[in-house]
Amino acid sequence: MSYYLSTVAVYFGVDLMAAWALNMQFGWAGVPNFAFIIFQAAGAYAAAAVTLGPDTGANSFQHYILGAHLAFPLPLLVGAAAGGVVSAAVGILTLRGLRRDYQAAVFLLVAVIASDIASADVNLFNGSNGIAGVPQPLSSLALSLGPSVYQWVYAAFVAVICLAVLLLVRRLGHSEWQRALRASRDDEPAARALGLNPALMRMQVFVLGGVIAGLSGALLVAFIAAWSPGAWQYAETFAILTGIILGGVSNDWGVLIGTFLVQILFVEVPSFLPQIGYPGLIDALVWVVIGFLWLVVLFVRPSGIWPERRYRVLARSRRPASSGEP
Amino acid sequence: MSTTVLLHSIGFGITTAAVIAIGAMGFTLQLGVTNVLNISYGNVMTIGAFASLIVERQHLGLLATIIAAPLAGAVLTIVLARTLFATYARRHGGPFDLLMVTLAVSLIIQYGLDALAHLQVFQFTFPSGSTLHIGPFVFTVLSLALVGFAALVFAALMAALRLTRMGKALRALSVDPKLARACGIPMRRIINLTWVLSGALAGLAGLVYVTNSLTVSAGSGLDFVVLVIAAALLGGAGSPAGAVLAALVVGIASEIVAALGGSYYSDAAALAILALVLVLRPAARSSAAGSRDEVTV
Repeated sequence: MSYYLSTVAVYFGVDLMAAWALNMQFGWAGVPNFAFIIFQAAGAYAAAAVTLGPDTGANSFQHYILGAHLAFPLPLLVGAAAGGVVSAAVGILTLRGLRRDYQAAVFLLVAVIASDIASADVNLFNGSNGIAGVPQPLSSLALSLGPSVYQWVYAAFVAVICLAVLLLVRRLGHSEWQRALRASRDDEPAARALGLNPALMRMQVFVLGGVIAGLSGALLVAFIAAWSPGAWQYAETFAILTGIILGGVSNDWGVLIGTFLVQILFVEVPSFLPQIGYPGLIDALVWVVIGFLWLVVLFVRPSGIWPERRYRVLARSRRPASSGEP
Repeated sequence: MSTTVLLHSIGFGITTAAVIAIGAMGFTLQLGVTNVLNISYGNVMTIGAFASLIVERQHLGLLATIIAAPLAGAVLTIVLARTLFATYARRHGGPFDLLMVTLAVSLIIQYGLDALAHLQVFQFTFPSGSTLHIGPFVFTVLSLALVGFAALVFAALMAALRLTRMGKALRALSVDPKLARACGIPMRRIINLTWVLSGALAGLAGLVYVTNSLTVSAGSGLDFVVLVIAAALLGGAGSPAGAVLAALVVGIASEIVAALGGSYYSDAAALAILALVLVLRPAARSSAAGSRDEVTV
């Protein structure tokens, strides 16, 4: 049970980080990043490859690029950087003045094609089998503590990073930059008229989100020790997005609640429900439930359980203007 | 790459283009008239393919097999549009909200089908006929029939849009719904016609796709809708001619990339072309429907 709880804790931390990052892009900036999961995957692959070492010798059963042996915290940084670099590349193509729904479709195409390529090209990251046998960080610690305690140590480590991400998100959430971002989301021509640069800010938030996504992937792959295209199908983005929509778009605490609920639905329910039908049936049905959940939330409460805060900055700043400038 | 290989891949590309074009024509029509970017279009294609599979298993004959797909697609699309999409359009309205709804529908159909089909992949047999050599190209009878069929669908659609009153009304609606309504165009009837027609084309596209791939699974539509959406966006919303042209470009490019040795990158070729167009030709971004910000469901 303790083993199970610590595993769930790690998943929750990683998902939460990812949800906050996606919320920055989707909530604050209005960028419908339906390819979010590929940035997490980029981080995971990069971190795994630089932990594993070259794909020769003990690793000759699999093929991948970027093979290197880096000491523990470095793969996390490499993962974060990979997420950022891939985001920048995708962002250059997609963040142009496209209509929001077209943009969403292009992101979806990117996600589907990226996972197709990663599955098919065995020289990139070992194709659909994925890479396996990624050594756990500080494995000497794992030996001395025993697997159960080690899991809790890792969960605590994830929690610390998650807290750091939260502090960053909160800090940014009260910044002028975030207000400008939301202003350009709601009315881009007006924001431009105020001298803001919406395109640049969107790119910034997109890359920042990608960095956090890459970091979350790196943390996850160090924990589960393997990574394959099955883990990041295009639909996985919608699992994260469900948490955001359910909890409240653009509200950090709402996202936390929503992610927690989705976690229960995805992880707890399938593992505690008695096995019905054939293997995989429950997983498929969970997705059907997610689909209906979207429809219900979009119909009943489109702003989520805990809606975005209405800022009064505008109302206050309007007063001096109306009280008669010369 | 030798010229023969190039010509062969162009030949394959034309077949692929025919398959893409049928789907892209329906998609672009739907997007142009209703302004809903319907992600579940790919799932409607899958349903069409499954409908044909079921009929084929019952041995009801080739004609019934061919009719089942567009019928299923049309019925499913009009039901979805009149119940779900219309409800949400009345409530929140924006194209992006509707996209989210179609996405939810897509998840439900995709995984619902997966659950019903026990995650299986089904074999689909369709007579492909003998191999023909026409000039430098190699075709099977089936692939020639597909190309001919796509050309026929295109000609019929263009004729209907250009020559009939309904077609003119439909085009008017896709350019300016408010003006069209003011001119007394029967909106409801035209919109329903669009849903039925585009749904039928989606179902047909699903069938055509599996006659090529010979397998059906819950994910069939997804792999393929990527190319369809890419072609439709490339050609510009609401323009069947643009969709066909874009389908040719996408189809031939993806087969050439496949022939060059990167068969896994053939889909990516479509995306690369789309990206290139988005970057180099900003005008392509503001298509016929580009300036509209309301949906007409």
